[in-house]
Amino acid sequence: MADVELQAVAKTFGKVAVCKGVDLRVEDGEFVTLLGPSGCGKTTTLNLIAGLEDATEGDIRIGGQRVNHLTPFERDVAMVFQNYALYPHMTVAENIGFTLRLRRMGRTEIARRVSAVAESLELGPVLERLPAQLSGGQQQRVALGRAIVREPRVFLFDEPFSNLDAGLRLKMRAEVKELHQRLRVTSIFVTHDQEEALSLSDRIAVMRDGRIEQYGTPADIYTRPVSRYVARFIGSPPLDFLPGKIATEEQRTVFRMGALAVPIDVRTVGELGNSPLELGVRPEHVILGAEGAPVTVRLVQPVGPATFVTVAWEGGSVVARVPGMASLVPGARLHVSVDPRHVMLFDAASGRRLSI
Amino acid sequence: MAGRSRVGAWLARSTVIIGLAVFTFLAVVPLLWMLLSSFMQQQALTATPPDFAPASFTLDNYVQVFSSAAALGRGFLNSFIVALFTTAVALAIGAPAAYALARLSVPGANPILMMILATQMFPGIVIVIPLFIVMSRLDLIDTQLVLIIVYLSFNLPIVIWILRGFFLAIPPGLERAAAVDGATVAQVFRLIVLPISVAPLFATAVFAFIESWNEFFFALILTRQSAQTAPLVISQFAGQYQTVFGQMMAAATLAIAPVVLLAVIFRNRIMQGFADGMVKG
Amino acid sequence: MQRPVREAGPSGPAGEVSALGTLEQRRRRIGLAALAPTLLVLLLILAYPIVDSMLLSLASVNVAGTGFARHFIGIDNYLALAGDRVFRQALWSSVYFTLLEVVLVIVLALLVALLLVHPFGRAGFFRIVLIVPWAIAPVANAVLWKWILHANYGILNSVLLQLGIIERNIVWLGTGSRALHVLLLVDVWKSVPFIAILFLAGLSKIPTILYRAARLDGANAWQQFWHVTLPSLRPTIAVAVILQTLWALRIFDLIYVLTKGGPAGGTVLLNYLAYRTTFNDLDLGYGAAIANVIFAMSFALALAYVWLLKPGLQQARA
Repeated sequence: MADVELQAVAKTFGKVAVCKGVDLRVEDGEFVTLLGPSGCGKTTTLNLIAGLEDATEGDIRIGGQRVNHLTPFERDVAMVFQNYALYPHMTVAENIGFTLRLRRMGRTEIARRVSAVAESLELGPVLERLPAQLSGGQQQRVALGRAIVREPRVFLFDEPFSNLDAGLRLKMRAEVKELHQRLRVTSIFVTHDQEEALSLSDRIAVMRDGRIEQYGTPADIYTRPVSRYVARFIGSPPLDFLPGKIATEEQRTVFRMGALAVPIDVRTVGELGNSPLELGVRPEHVILGAEGAPVTVRLVQPVGPATFVTVAWEGGSVVARVPGMASLVPGARLHVSVDPRHVMLFDAASGRRLSI
Repeated sequence: MAGRSRVGAWLARSTVIIGLAVFTFLAVVPLLWMLLSSFMQQQALTATPPDFAPASFTLDNYVQVFSSAAALGRGFLNSFIVALFTTAVALAIGAPAAYALARLSVPGANPILMMILATQMFPGIVIVIPLFIVMSRLDLIDTQLVLIIVYLSFNLPIVIWILRGFFLAIPPGLERAAAVDGATVAQVFRLIVLPISVAPLFATAVFAFIESWNEFFFALILTRQSAQTAPLVISQFAGQYQTVFGQMMAAATLAIAPVVLLAVIFRNRIMQGFADGMVKG
Repeated sequence: MQRPVREAGPSGPAGEVSALGTLEQRRRRIGLAALAPTLLVLLLILAYPIVDSMLLSLASVNVAGTGFARHFIGIDNYLALAGDRVFRQALWSSVYFTLLEVVLVIVLALLVALLLVHPFGRAGFFRIVLIVPWAIAPVANAVLWKWILHANYGILNSVLLQLGIIERNIVWLGTGSRALHVLLLVDVWKSVPFIAILFLAGLSKIPTILYRAARLDGANAWQQFWHVTLPSLRPTIAVAVILQTLWALRIFDLIYVLTKGGPAGGTVLLNYLAYRTTFNDLDLGYGAAIANVIFAMSFALALAYVWLLKPGLQQARA
């Protein structure tokens, strides 16, 4: 059993508290991502799980066993690093086999395991090369191979693809996903790329300021973000937030944001209080057409399969996602409306999403 | 406008050329003269002006220097052994220390570093008297060992300072990966850090070797006859009343030859070492 | 690939249990162990002698037979120094010498460095020319110049005579003042290469973008030097000043070989005076006092040096 559990884990460097109380549980075989901007503590948390740094407070358990006092090797974890961290003076085969050599495994056994892993990663032809002679993708695969050959309880990934160009990133992402489906080893992945998190993870832990803000499945995080921070972090382009007021118009309850109004179901909205509110809506749920509030097109940004159109009215603007390459021009007049089933209301002061 | 800038450019270029020529002349000529006069006979050198006829040139100076009481030969041997061993010890002790200071989160690393750096800064006279007293009591005066030990006082800090600069530049990810792979701290140092540090280790060794070879003051105080180093022997050549100038130059040339050779071969690495260690980047 | 079965337990993959602590703890422990031999050596070879030297300076030491007898006399040695004309002269000469040398070396080294970064000066040949004077032993340098400066047969006089610049041989080391300045020039010759190498390193770290931006703003070569090169080079110059000052205080080989402090004590600098007092006059306590004065001056400079380099002392955060 290789579940990973963190209880009230905190880490302070001198006077700076980087992790302020992290509680996390990763089930055996799960792929969990720690997601957040730089400085949120995600890499430190990973290092604490790995044992590369000592936790100031809290308990870290792997497989039910408390590991705070163990070295990374003793915790039986493997890690893939951001800059590959391949040993530059060793060949690919030696890099992958290094851990086995340290375990004093026999040479033939090492060779067997190394070539098995290399084959599975298509590294067979480059086994005798030095890291400097490999492409970025190959280097990353060697880093993967080094982790796989350990047959560890947990895989840890520290932003492994940040240094790759876009195409390679997607390819490596697919390989990691496929690897996880094949091996089903508990994996914890750190990234600041929300797309990566969404595509790879069973569950995502969105971190903020040393704590986990929300922990849930990609669908959960995407459609039911617990706060403005989470909502804004996930999804590209980011969510638009429109300040406005609840009003009753024509016997319906609506949220009015200047010219734009959206009907809301009061039952799905919790305690309102008197604090100002904001409405969040994703571009794909903003509808341009002949109905709704009158707006002027301000910006048109085609991205291939869709076009993101920014429309504005007095006191507000919103981004709409239009399929295909729309032939709109700035200055054009249209109407905008919002799908009421997919809006989110946020308390402007606390940032919490309001819901039952 | 164009005419003026062209003249200006020409002026600038000529200044540079003249400057380089003057620099080269001033730097090279004294050394060339040392080499040249080492091959010239006494009467040629003492003539006014010196006699540069082909007949004046001879290998005699070198022959004499080699055969004169074997002092230079012994001096060479002593210099070599002392420089070699003190460098080896300095590396053996200093490399791990440099690694510890660079990477191993030693508490109080910065004050220790500052102290080590500060020790570079004062002349040998400050420590030589007590050292002389102690070494006399230990009966170590005039031995190679005493120099090997005492030279550590400046070699060790040099080794630590230069190597620390280099170790700081090693990506921490490498050591982490090795730790996760199961390497102990010693194994990380031996199997990962050292193999990728061969060039700076070598350069540092050369640097320490050169400094040890050239050292004069401690050798003067702490040796008498048997452990004399090359610099001491040269100074004796120069101190004689009846100086055969050619021999003096021959001795000097021989004494500096090994070290100059090392410096020229490793000049790029050495200059890099200075830069990393002493200049704020 | 089959997933191996793992039992829960306090053992690592290979079954060993170790109670040596976490990674961080082990690294710290081994760090201290790795540092220990160095600290021990430096303690014995440096710390102890420095302390003992200070104690010596507070004593009057007699060389008795094969041993040394010390009598504590407090700060009498230092008081005597204050009134000692020879010491004051040496102090003044050292300050004068050092000041002049630092200025000359810095200016010349800067010129040389600038020449060598110019496209014409890039050739490796010039760098060889640069490193050779650094590599030769100071003693050898002294011996060489003793020969060059020889009053009757030295090449300098010969050349100057031939060129008609002088009418008679000059005894370069003949008077105290002239000898001091000659020593100064010789040491400048030896010191410029190293400082030039330092400046080369400093110059190489200046981003060329700055020069491009300056050129676009209309700056000519002199303005570029004044507004880009010099400010960027300021920390390096500061380091060079301190290093060169420290080395000037340590001059020994030149004096020993060329003048032995003469003529008429004109080339007695502090370091040489300490040596002479200790090993010629055999006044160990007094010599130690002089040495400690030099030490105090050097230490103050060393602190300045370390303070200047401080940002580089922060360890890279893992």
